[in-house]
Amino acid sequence: MILLLMSAAFAAPPPGLMPALESELERATTELKLQEEAPPYWVSYDVVDGEFATFFAEMGAVISSDITPYRVMRVETRAGDSTYDSGNFDAFGEANGVLSVRLPLDDDETAFRRSIWLATDASYKQAVEQLSRKRAELPPSDPAVSELPAMLPADPVVDLSGGALPLDADGVKSRVVQLSRVLSEYPQLEQGQAAGRDWQGQRITVNSEGTRLVTDTGYTVIRVEAVLKHPDGSRLRNGRWWVARTAAELPPMEEMEAEVREMAQWLVALEDAPVLKEYLGPVLFEQPASVELYRQLAAGELVGTPPEAQGRGMFGEAPIARPTARVGRRLMPSGWTVVDDPSAKEAGHYTRDQEGVPGERVVLIEDGVVRRVLNSRIPSKGAERSTGHGRSMGSERREAMPSNVQVTAKRTRAERAMRRKGLRMAAQTQNQGLLVIRRIEPPAMSEDMDITFMGEGPGAGLTRPYEAYLLMPDGSEQPVRGLQFSGVDRRALRDVVLAGETAAPVGVMDGPPGPERFYIGAVGGLPGSWAVPAVLVSELELDGGGGGDKRVLARPE
Amino acid sequence: MLPQLLFLFLPSLSAQQAPQAPGPIARPVGAAEPAPMLQVARDTVDHTMAALSGQDEPPYHLAVGITQSHSLQLSASNGAIMSRNEDWNRYADLDLRVGSFALDNSHKLLDAGWFSEEGRSIVRLPIGDGAEDVHAAELTLWREMDDAYQQAVRRMTKVRANQSVKVERDDPSDDFSPAPKVVDIRPVQDVELSVAWEESLREVSSIFLEYPDVLESGVEVTAEAETFLLANSEGTQIQHTRVRYRASVYAVSVAEDGAQLAVYDYLDASTEQGLPSVETLRELAHVSAQRVTDLKNAPLLDPYTGPAILRGRAAGVFFHEIFGHRIEGHRQKDEDEGQTFTDMVGEQVLPDFISVVDDPTIRSMVGLDLNGTYPYDDEGVVAQRVSLVDHGELQGFLMSRAPIEGIDSSNGHGRRQPGNAIVARQGNLIVQAHESVPYEELRAMLIEQVEEQDKPFGLIVDDITGGFTLTGRVTPNSFNVRPVSVWKVYADGRPDELVRGGDFIGTPLTTFSRILAAGDDPEVFNGVCGAESGWVPVSAVAPSLLLEEIEVQRKEKENDRPPLLPAPPSPKGKTKSVAQSTQEPA
Repeated sequence: MILLLMSAAFAAPPPGLMPALESELERATTELKLQEEAPPYWVSYDVVDGEFATFFAEMGAVISSDITPYRVMRVETRAGDSTYDSGNFDAFGEANGVLSVRLPLDDDETAFRRSIWLATDASYKQAVEQLSRKRAELPPSDPAVSELPAMLPADPVVDLSGGALPLDADGVKSRVVQLSRVLSEYPQLEQGQAAGRDWQGQRITVNSEGTRLVTDTGYTVIRVEAVLKHPDGSRLRNGRWWVARTAAELPPMEEMEAEVREMAQWLVALEDAPVLKEYLGPVLFEQPASVELYRQLAAGELVGTPPEAQGRGMFGEAPIARPTARVGRRLMPSGWTVVDDPSAKEAGHYTRDQEGVPGERVVLIEDGVVRRVLNSRIPSKGAERSTGHGRSMGSERREAMPSNVQVTAKRTRAERAMRRKGLRMAAQTQNQGLLVIRRIEPPAMSEDMDITFMGEGPGAGLTRPYEAYLLMPDGSEQPVRGLQFSGVDRRALRDVVLAGETAAPVGVMDGPPGPERFYIGAVGGLPGSWAVPAVLVSELELDGGGGGDKRVLARPE
Repeated sequence: MLPQLLFLFLPSLSAQQAPQAPGPIARPVGAAEPAPMLQVARDTVDHTMAALSGQDEPPYHLAVGITQSHSLQLSASNGAIMSRNEDWNRYADLDLRVGSFALDNSHKLLDAGWFSEEGRSIVRLPIGDGAEDVHAAELTLWREMDDAYQQAVRRMTKVRANQSVKVERDDPSDDFSPAPKVVDIRPVQDVELSVAWEESLREVSSIFLEYPDVLESGVEVTAEAETFLLANSEGTQIQHTRVRYRASVYAVSVAEDGAQLAVYDYLDASTEQGLPSVETLRELAHVSAQRVTDLKNAPLLDPYTGPAILRGRAAGVFFHEIFGHRIEGHRQKDEDEGQTFTDMVGEQVLPDFISVVDDPTIRSMVGLDLNGTYPYDDEGVVAQRVSLVDHGELQGFLMSRAPIEGIDSSNGHGRRQPGNAIVARQGNLIVQAHESVPYEELRAMLIEQVEEQDKPFGLIVDDITGGFTLTGRVTPNSFNVRPVSVWKVYADGRPDELVRGGDFIGTPLTTFSRILAAGDDPEVFNGVCGAESGWVPVSAVAPSLLLEEIEVQRKEKENDRPPLLPAPPSPKGKTKSVAQSTQEPA
């Protein structure tokens, strides 16, 4: 409800833009044609018009402050026809008919048209070449594509009533500075940074199917991260983050400050914490660690978008492009349900996705088994329509991405019961205590080198814990440090033996499942939310380590 | 070892900017007071030297450089504003040395592997000057200094082992040289751009709509105040600001063969008032639009050898690439380098009517502000005029504080872009002709050469985008100078003919021996030069030069067809006819 009340900071598309888009779309669909080639059969313009406000601060001091107007058009042209076209093919990164260009900041129809004209021309030529590459490698007769349409159908929509939500640059800046200032209260910390972005704009979609749509787009994100150098040289990190549709939906500042203090205190306490060198046994994931467990291991199993097909293999074999997700796969124990609902008023809220398709509430998992998957208009076997989850960053293709995910178990237990059970299981596996993980670093903040060099997620399948402790039989909690997961994959979700009570959603910034989600940076990505209860997993393996260069110089006062 | 590839480009400041919002930095101060961050640098140096003095491997030299910038950028295209950016940045560079002047951690490792060097991190500091900013900066510098020290110690261990295992180098000079203490605190300056520019840029940028062959175009005004703060363990403290303004236009067309043709022109100034008037910008826009239109219709230049005139700016880039980079001091001791001139001091390397100096102390020449001017280099050494060639005879090299055999001190040319290690770089490279002729006479001499060599034509290069050169031993020691427009000059009196699509190539010593004469028309090329220590602003000043022979190779080109549809109608501009200009090079 609050979204409706706050809407329409930008009430309409910039003057001159719609006529410019209409005129150039008309020319593109009626006149644009290479002599020996078919004209484009599908053209889409997607203009994002708004403002970015991005801030970084350290210990109360502004490192960078950036408020930038943003008016960028993504143009996508498809060559071919509705049964087989230039889309969804990766010719080793060759231009594919999708490109982004800056549009003038002035509302000037002539200038708009010239930018759109040149971008459409380039996009069409790229699409024609891409179609020829695809024909050579993956001809229409190939079973991988012959049974699929070029694009899943969508009803055209005409709705120009949308607009951007209000930007609060000063408010976000003030929070970023203040949250980083809180960290300066802890002299043990050697780094205390906060980053924030408020991005609000309107998305104006005009395509050759007749869609004319204006919707709001954007998010507000604030992240805080602190680093403590342990006396043994280990670099210990901890973080907090908040994601919302607008700055007004962020929690009260006192609440955020309290969370940051709690974070800093945990780090400081780690100065006396031992390194847990290895652990094999039951693990209790508290909230929000459980969010990362499911987000990192399950998201790829819920998305039906196949990867882009590529060229033939070394021995001429046909390319295979199918999603990881499988309808019918048992992903979780009996009694578990997973639902994705873009209409929920959480961080991942939207009414229509970036392809103009209404966001559908989808029951993805019932009784632990995958029943449906999320789809954009990218075709995949078994999908008849988009579920309205087509989203992407920049000019990337519109893959399906989770929006607001709720994970629930039929039978839940109170926290105390979960701990008791976990301790019993830990004793059975000859562990001195139960490993409890409270927080896990989000992929965007991971510093693991395999991601930096290889573009791959961590070999373990799950990023490192920020906060972990051993729950001892006497009820005491012993913080431990230096842990990383070993050999975790989606099968761990089937090994969940107990679930806690229904949890509140946690806002996240994310990229499509895969390596990209590690590269979105502190304030990038697309917003979403996950609500996951605390869970007890019967067995996981973790390794621990510590040490590094110790400080030689004394910290300044 | 990668071949050393060195670039020179006309800069577009906006391409390097990340837009930022107003912040509390670099407000103008009337008196020359030390900036708070200079004190932070000073304290960091003092505390670090004292704290590490008891270590087994104490630092013998430490410098903290801080570069803070405030830049503004405004651009327009087709009559509309395209971008408005304002950006504040503050970076620190820590140069910590362990060992001794003779042998320290900067010493080159011979036959080192790809991953033998640890990276040098870019250190961002708070952009304000308040108490919290100072505290956060101190904390950041402490952390980075500790890392830098440990890295230096690790590298020194490798250096010593490398010394033991490898043969002695040809050049046994020290790794670093002392420099006198300097204390010079100058006022911090700032830049601003009047809002009136918006309307001016809209108007000027709409001029390109009159030219149907111009596909992309723009007009831009930029301003940047860059303040350098330096404190080192020799007691040096320096604070000075460099202010640059630039107004520029560009126009792009596509020829029928797919080649993208771009014309970029600019005027630099040291104050906003010094920027060109709207009338001048209008003229610049018309000239650029017409030039790119003419180029679109110009025939291709085939591979060719023969006589040519390089007009002033082209001659400046030519000297920057083929001579300037090869007299940078560090290349004389690096055994991976070609070392063209290392052993030629006192020998004739150019015709005796040519001298070359590099002088970062000169602010302007022929009415234009120079881009490579600075009072101190990035090692705190006062900028000095260096005679490089006197009447054709090689005199010396551009020096940072890394000595070479025979030259044991800096002459104020140690430069870098923040985040890079310092090496010797050019500032304002000035080519002087002791015997010169008016341009028309030079042109007549070109025609004489065409006749004498029995060539079908000679060439005049009147504009250039930049160039690059290879100075290493692994690759041919060659250069490539990239003209925008070239004219064929016929001996039989036919009009000059504009051509396109050729790059000039060659090797340095052969090409120098072909210089026959110089004009009396020095021109200034202002650009940015990219090399090991990043991008630094430079100028090259030279008169037109007549070369007995140059070689032309085909320029790489793009292959996309021109747009399939005509441009959308433009109610703003009255489209001009597409008649080709017959104007000859001035």
